[in-house]
Amino acid sequence: MRLLAVCDLSKRFGGLAAVDGVSFDVHEGTIKAVIGPNGAGKSTLFNLITGFDRPDVGSVDLLGCNIVGMNPHKVVRAGISRTFQNTQLFEELTALDNVLVGMHTQLRTGFLGGALRLPWTLTEERRARERASYLLRLVGVEQYVMTPAADIPHGMRRLLEIARALAAAPRLLLLDEPAAGLNNRETQSLARTLYRIRDEGVTIVVVEHDMGLVMEVSEEIVVLDRGRKIAEGPPLLIQKDAAVIEAYLGEEGEYV
Amino acid sequence: MRWTRRRLGITLLGVMGIAIAAVPFLTDDRYLLKVLTFVGVNAIVVAGLALLFGYAGQISLGHAAFFGLGAYMSAYLTTTHQTPWLLAVLAGTGIAAAGGLLLALPSLRLKGHYLAMATLGFNEIMSVLFVELRGITGGNNGLSGIPFPSIGSFVIDTPAGIYLLVWGVAALAFLGAANLVRTRPGRAMRALHGSELGAVASGVDTTRLKVQVFALSAALAGLAGALYAHAVGFISPTQFSLEFSILLVAMVVVGGTGSLVGPFFAAVVLTLLQYVHALIPGLGNDVASVIQDWEVDISGMVMILTVIFLPGGFAALVRRKRIGVAVDGETV
Ligand SMILES: Nc1ncnc2c1ncn2[C@@H]1O[C@H](COP(=O)(O)OP(=O)(O)OP(=O)(O)O)[C@@H](O)[C@H]1O
Ligand SMILES: [Mg+2]
Repeated sequence: MRLLAVCDLSKRFGGLAAVDGVSFDVHEGTIKAVIGPNGAGKSTLFNLITGFDRPDVGSVDLLGCNIVGMNPHKVVRAGISRTFQNTQLFEELTALDNVLVGMHTQLRTGFLGGALRLPWTLTEERRARERASYLLRLVGVEQYVMTPAADIPHGMRRLLEIARALAAAPRLLLLDEPAAGLNNRETQSLARTLYRIRDEGVTIVVVEHDMGLVMEVSEEIVVLDRGRKIAEGPPLLIQKDAAVIEAYLGEEGEYV
Repeated sequence: MRWTRRRLGITLLGVMGIAIAAVPFLTDDRYLLKVLTFVGVNAIVVAGLALLFGYAGQISLGHAAFFGLGAYMSAYLTTTHQTPWLLAVLAGTGIAAAGGLLLALPSLRLKGHYLAMATLGFNEIMSVLFVELRGITGGNNGLSGIPFPSIGSFVIDTPAGIYLLVWGVAALAFLGAANLVRTRPGRAMRALHGSELGAVASGVDTTRLKVQVFALSAALAGLAGALYAHAVGFISPTQFSLEFSILLVAMVVVGGTGSLVGPFFAAVVLTLLQYVHALIPGLGNDVASVIQDWEVDISGMVMILTVIFLPGGFAALVRRKRIGVAVDGETV
């Protein structure tokens, strides 16, 4: 089933076309990768899909509903969660609290219920903590439950941000360079984590420079170069695609 | 059972609560009780400001104005319209909340310095209005003869009674705030402070949240102001000046961000500083008057020194000391 349909999406910054007429579909239950040289427009694409930036033209449909122009916090409610290229954790909060904030849209306690500690608030709170602990285990950062995010090692911080994004119970998860700064072993474990997340029914789109990871996990790849989509297809075809090789050779040859 | 940090904390809070409640039974010094009542009044404002500044990271230099709004509203209604006390206090709280809402809606789009300027401007405008709206506020003469708190025929007219009333409200304010910061809305506030992008990406409507916290803290300031009016029986515009706003912010900054206990103790100490001559009998008159004259300056200095040498305030200092001593305590 088609979960997300990006159609003719474009965004200019001054004279620069950061994203230029990009279209693609994401099918439910798959892992899709978006790759491209530095400055290709990958992060901007994510910002356009999640409402952090507004496209000049084009549409983004989630299950048939156009979500362009929606406030980013509403996009989360609509079912799309994301992580950032520069992790945006709540540094002073523990890993558990970070994930509990991620559950914001899933919980209902308001100011009154919170201040009065009503019985159902406590029930909700207990369930939330159980779910948060589960998510921390799912991504493998359970040993840091009570550690402030600021004190968690780099690789684990990226995983924690994924757990926080999952906490909103998204249908679609957008990950912006989750393997950046991870060592080989951590990247291997990230691949397994992505499979586990997909098997829980969450569709994933991942922006990534680590080609090993991209080729391993993704069923389909979209290649951007200078804002335009230059190729789309399964990993084996993308590896042989002349335009893709050209784009990467123009930049840094060792990628593909 | 282990003697965890949490249990230690709860025990200490319990002891403190009992000590505060016991004061009127240990002394009948009217002046001392009045001073300690003012401490309780300021503590109520600080509970709200600690949420706004210490947790949600939004500055306000206008809380003396909300305090004044609550005080004038309740005083006006009870003196000229014979409104029942409880209703008048609720009205005072309500108008402060409404004022907070009106100010927050446009200005919370502003950040940092601009928000500070907007709230500062608001305080100045309200200071002028408190003088100029003579028909309601009594102008520079203020309002006097404000009745004691009463419900029906039950009148609280003793210093001890008013002390207990104010501290009861203060206890509820802190209890509510402490509950709040450990549940969904409070976590969202702390998230907002930590990373606004991260908060938005977690589905938090940050604008709405900021407005809500601002209105809540304004309401608490209004409530404190209303209680204050009936505790002293007389109010005048100078009591709600920018100086008082700055003193309130100093309490939260010195006490520490992300903490309720820190700002509470800072509120106690910085309020008592004003009455130091009466509390320390041996103190020479000259020393006392110097401290009184320089009260705001001293608070300001302490605030500046805190920001420079102790970012995060005293609460952060205590937290840092604890690291390595006890990482247990909190349970999942
Ligand atoms: N807010 C902005 N204002 C102006 N230009 C921007 C803005 N955001 C991105 N750009 C520009 O748009 C282009 C695409 O940037 P983007 O961050 O989307 O690239 P990317 O593919 O994510 O690159 P990287 O692999 O380095 O993360 C770049 O040239 C960048 O400088
Ligand atoms: Mg990027």
